[in-house]
Amino acid sequence: MRTFMRLLGFLRPYRRPLIWSLLLAWLAMGMTVLIPLLIGGAVNAIESEHRDRILPLVLALLGAGILRLGLTVGRRLIAGKVSLAVEYDLRQVFYEHLQKLELAFFDSQQTGQLMSRATVDLQSIRFFLGYGLIWVSQSALTILFAAAAMLVLDPVLALIALAPVPFLVVTATRYSRRNRPAEQEVQQRIGEVTAGAEESISGIRIVKAFARERHMLDRFRNSVNRVFEQSLVSTRLQAFYTPLMGFLPNLGLAAVLLVGGLQVIHGHTSVGHLTAFYAYVVLLSGPVRWLGMSLSMAQRAVASGNRMFEILDREPSMESAPDAPALPEGHGQVSLQRVTLRYDGAEPTLTGIDLEVDPGRTVALVGPTASGKTSLVGLLARLYDPSEGRVLIDGADIREVDLASLRSEIAFVADDSFLFSDTVAGNIAYARPDATQEQIESAARRAQAHDFVTRLPEGYETVIGERGLTLSGGQRQRIAIARALLAEPRILILDDATSSVDARTEAEIKKGLREAMKGRTTFIVAHRLSTISLADEIVVMDRGRIVDRGTHEDLLERCPLYEEIAEKGLEDSVYLQRDLDEREELAKL
Amino acid sequence: MSDRDRKLREAEERAQEEALIAEEREEETYQAPDSRFRAVLMLFGSLWRLIRGEDNRWRKVRWLFSLLGPYRRQVILMFVALILATGATLAPPFLVGKAVQAALNGDSTALELIIGGFLLAALVGWGTSYLQTYLVGWVGERALQDLRIRIFTHLQEMSIGFFTRNRPGVLISRITNDVDALDQLISTGVVTLFSSTLTLVGVVVIMLVADVQLALVVFLTLPLLAIASLVFRIVAASAYRITRERIAEVTAYLQESLSGVRVVRSFAQEQRHVERMGELNELNRQANLKTVYLNASYFPAVELLSAIGTAVILLYGGYQALDLATESARNAQIGIVVAFVGYLSTFFDPIQQLSNLYTTYQQGMAALDKIFDLLDTEPDMVDKPDAIDPGRLRGEIEMDGVWFSYGLDKSAGLKRSSGLIERGPDEEEDGAAWALEDVSIHVPAGETLALVGETGAGKSTFAKLVSRFYDPQRGRVLVDGHDLRDLSSTCLRSQLGIVPQEGFLFSGTVRENIAFGRPDASDEEIEAAADAIGAGDFIRRMQNGFETEVGERGVSLSAGQRQLIAFARALLAEPRILILDEATSNVDVRTERTIELGLERLLEGRTAIVIAHRLSTIRNAGRIAVLENGLIVESGTHDELIAAAGRYAELYGTWAELAAA
Repeated sequence: MRTFMRLLGFLRPYRRPLIWSLLLAWLAMGMTVLIPLLIGGAVNAIESEHRDRILPLVLALLGAGILRLGLTVGRRLIAGKVSLAVEYDLRQVFYEHLQKLELAFFDSQQTGQLMSRATVDLQSIRFFLGYGLIWVSQSALTILFAAAAMLVLDPVLALIALAPVPFLVVTATRYSRRNRPAEQEVQQRIGEVTAGAEESISGIRIVKAFARERHMLDRFRNSVNRVFEQSLVSTRLQAFYTPLMGFLPNLGLAAVLLVGGLQVIHGHTSVGHLTAFYAYVVLLSGPVRWLGMSLSMAQRAVASGNRMFEILDREPSMESAPDAPALPEGHGQVSLQRVTLRYDGAEPTLTGIDLEVDPGRTVALVGPTASGKTSLVGLLARLYDPSEGRVLIDGADIREVDLASLRSEIAFVADDSFLFSDTVAGNIAYARPDATQEQIESAARRAQAHDFVTRLPEGYETVIGERGLTLSGGQRQRIAIARALLAEPRILILDDATSSVDARTEAEIKKGLREAMKGRTTFIVAHRLSTISLADEIVVMDRGRIVDRGTHEDLLERCPLYEEIAEKGLEDSVYLQRDLDEREELAKL
Repeated sequence: MSDRDRKLREAEERAQEEALIAEEREEETYQAPDSRFRAVLMLFGSLWRLIRGEDNRWRKVRWLFSLLGPYRRQVILMFVALILATGATLAPPFLVGKAVQAALNGDSTALELIIGGFLLAALVGWGTSYLQTYLVGWVGERALQDLRIRIFTHLQEMSIGFFTRNRPGVLISRITNDVDALDQLISTGVVTLFSSTLTLVGVVVIMLVADVQLALVVFLTLPLLAIASLVFRIVAASAYRITRERIAEVTAYLQESLSGVRVVRSFAQEQRHVERMGELNELNRQANLKTVYLNASYFPAVELLSAIGTAVILLYGGYQALDLATESARNAQIGIVVAFVGYLSTFFDPIQQLSNLYTTYQQGMAALDKIFDLLDTEPDMVDKPDAIDPGRLRGEIEMDGVWFSYGLDKSAGLKRSSGLIERGPDEEEDGAAWALEDVSIHVPAGETLALVGETGAGKSTFAKLVSRFYDPQRGRVLVDGHDLRDLSSTCLRSQLGIVPQEGFLFSGTVRENIAFGRPDASDEEIEAAADAIGAGDFIRRMQNGFETEVGERGVSLSAGQRQLIAFARALLAEPRILILDEATSNVDVRTERTIELGLERLLEGRTAIVIAHRLSTIRNAGRIAVLENGLIVESGTHDELIAAAGRYAELYGTWAELAAA
């Protein structure tokens, strides 16, 4: 109920148009309810041979029809606009909120889940707010008006005619309540079929190599059978309830005809009234069914609302105070003091980190998988906040400075270079949309990207990404480096930035990186000695702690973990080709 | 790309798809997209062309109906129920008219009889609708189930090359989405087509029989409906397409900014994205506003039409009645007027439903085409009738003047017309660019051949030809002296092991995965294989040991662990020939060492073709082949090649230098 009220809150800005559209809807319903009366009147006129009365009644009926047309058009226009406005608001509120939430939130959420909230859930809320509410009020009102008209005409007949209505509403609601879980289970099982098919197809080489087609077919057949069985459950419900909902009004109609017909015979009522009643019973069956439908729509909207609010209620944990000062001037002095990082009460990812890095130095972070390298650099840009301890840049605790000013001084080049569907130039100028073409090209040159970019069909104006040209892993990487360079950051963070290019390209990129690192503090999250060689100093990490730091030679002598890494690095971690596309292609073998 | 990323991406794609489907449903349910009348005409037009065989779909549709063959009895029963149910829905207005007539005549016996008939009709309607709905559901689902299994079976018969050329997502959607679209066509579509047509024809016939003149006058209002629909159609044509495009843009943008959230944050560009989203959102609103205007005028206009129809009946029918001489004739006429008013309300329903059907028909037919593209693709590598089965292979491999080009490969992918996009297997695909050119090499039984070279040099093509994913255009690939084309595929496959780069696991336990190739293996054999590879330790340390569920595609394990289990699986199957693609993903130092040892154990005593990425593997290989642009430029042992100071020595120098840098 609380969710329901909160959902209604989205309508608040549109109170006035909403009231108008309700008013128009009610008036239109009034017209609809008037029509059977006029039909009855006309039939009476025919029966009593009042030729002159027929035409006025028919004209009145036409008039009611035309009036209803006008009212409904108005209602639909207003309601449609409100519905679209609500959709706009919902989407915008949701999106803005997502942009405010801390990054850790996205690590814990699947993108697909968020997508389905922003699309499917939003849809069901919008339908309910935009159309459902009006349907409910319209249906309820039709039933009410029709009931009133019938009671006035003939109370006894009215009670008989209305008797099935409560049963119908109950049946309709019960049907949608019972069928929904059954349907969901069907969907669930179809999901299993999909997952099974996906697995067999992705793993077809293994299946074939081990000649296990029969086994996979049996598995598949089994999951398909499960769908069939559950579908039958749903089918049975449908087969039972749908005809029942058609039958109930007929029962009422039969009673009305019998009682009303006998009354006509005995002269207690007119045949016109009987006709009007007939028309009312036919009229009622629609709204009654809609009422049931709207109720289940409301349930769905509330469920969606709950999922939506779950996210909207999440306070952004990482916002800088509105009056926070900008990051003070400086050259990129970095200091981590007793920093511990823990995600959601799990084992700490980083424990008691103390690290001082002087401006302009290049530090390589080295260690086994999950030793905390990536988390450490994430702290610098305040993608996460430390659970304990603090992070200082140029003397300022980064929690106390303006977030945007902090992040504009730090640039990332991550392992998987994410580029947006935009032109090459647009991507390079991502952090500085006002950059000139010269600046863009100069950044691209430094990142060793200029040559291949000019060879693209439309040079810097080539659209890349999902709806454009697909670049190779190495090309993407170099554009990401150019993007970081153009941002002219105080601190540069390279997260294993050269892992997906072939040896020749790697050499080129290294040249570019050396250039780029000049004059800024650089952190390299490295897995290979070849990248480590760019650094002035190496920090060895293991299980969230700093184990040792020093130069390559020093560490080789005194740090066994580093020795092991270095040895493996020299021997084996040099991969001969690392083109992403090739990797995907080979993965199929 | 890691498994997690891939799963995420797939989940995203699904969510997006669902959103689009929901969007389409919205149109059907809430805004009913197309012109009623025209759609009905187009539907029948298409059906006519279909039956006369003017498009080539008749064969497919016949095939589709043949799926119902086994359930002939249920189908016949369903149609009987359908006809009865339709009849039952047609009866009420007629009976109401009769009841009114009886009431006016003061004939209570007749009235009671008519009410009895009314109740009977209602009961028959109830019973037959139940039967019909149930049977439609039953037959439809059964047929779909059969269809899914048939497609799946067909897919499994296809060669590996086929799967390389077609995206898994596309193939899967043949089993899921397209079958669902057919479901709509078979169950909802066929029933609606018959019941609505029957109802429509029934209403028209009953009205004509009851009173030709009045019926014809009522039908005069229909051209108005046609005109209204035509106008709507012209105006609405593009409006709906635009809304679909707009919402797709919004969804795509949302998708992108969610996947790229790290980049957005680290460059502090949130505000810019919010603004852009606002723009797209607004465009979407504008586009939808147009459809709101359209709907706002069209649907109420149809409502008005039914009011006009009622007016015409009352006026014309009323005057007719008054012109009649006798009381009883007049009463009968009043009954007819009431019945007509009742029929008018059932008249628009079938038109509405039939017009919705046109969309279902189009979607279903498109799905049918796609499914047929798949089913019509013959399995491309079928054994010759006189294929040889030499029994146990020694494992000697020879390539004899092999030329291969993807462009010339006859076993092409699915047709592009059906929306399937062929995946270019390699960059060299266009034209007759040779992926392998006159390659000849001999690998003695039991020896390891390491393939070395740059991207696109032909290493994976080489491995694919040995696995017989493709046949060469010229030259021969021989195993133990038999041309692969003459060898029985069961013989080859049962003795050829393939270890892919990403150790692919199936959902199930670790034990099931290791025993995948030999389900009858004993527990001791399974554990021995795991131990031999060096995977036994970590498996036993897991919560349920060998009974641990690995999750979908083995997500609950690390890349290194998956790799080791894949090794154990291959070892247990004891292949004579092993095709191995070394993983290039980063694993930690300790796992790396285990993998290296496991690899050595796996390669022992069998012929192996290794697409090598580790220097140690290359150095340990009995023979190294350096590929460049589809040519073998050098081959020999490590020492020989270094001594020759050729391409390999040069490459090796670069690597060593890089490693030392």
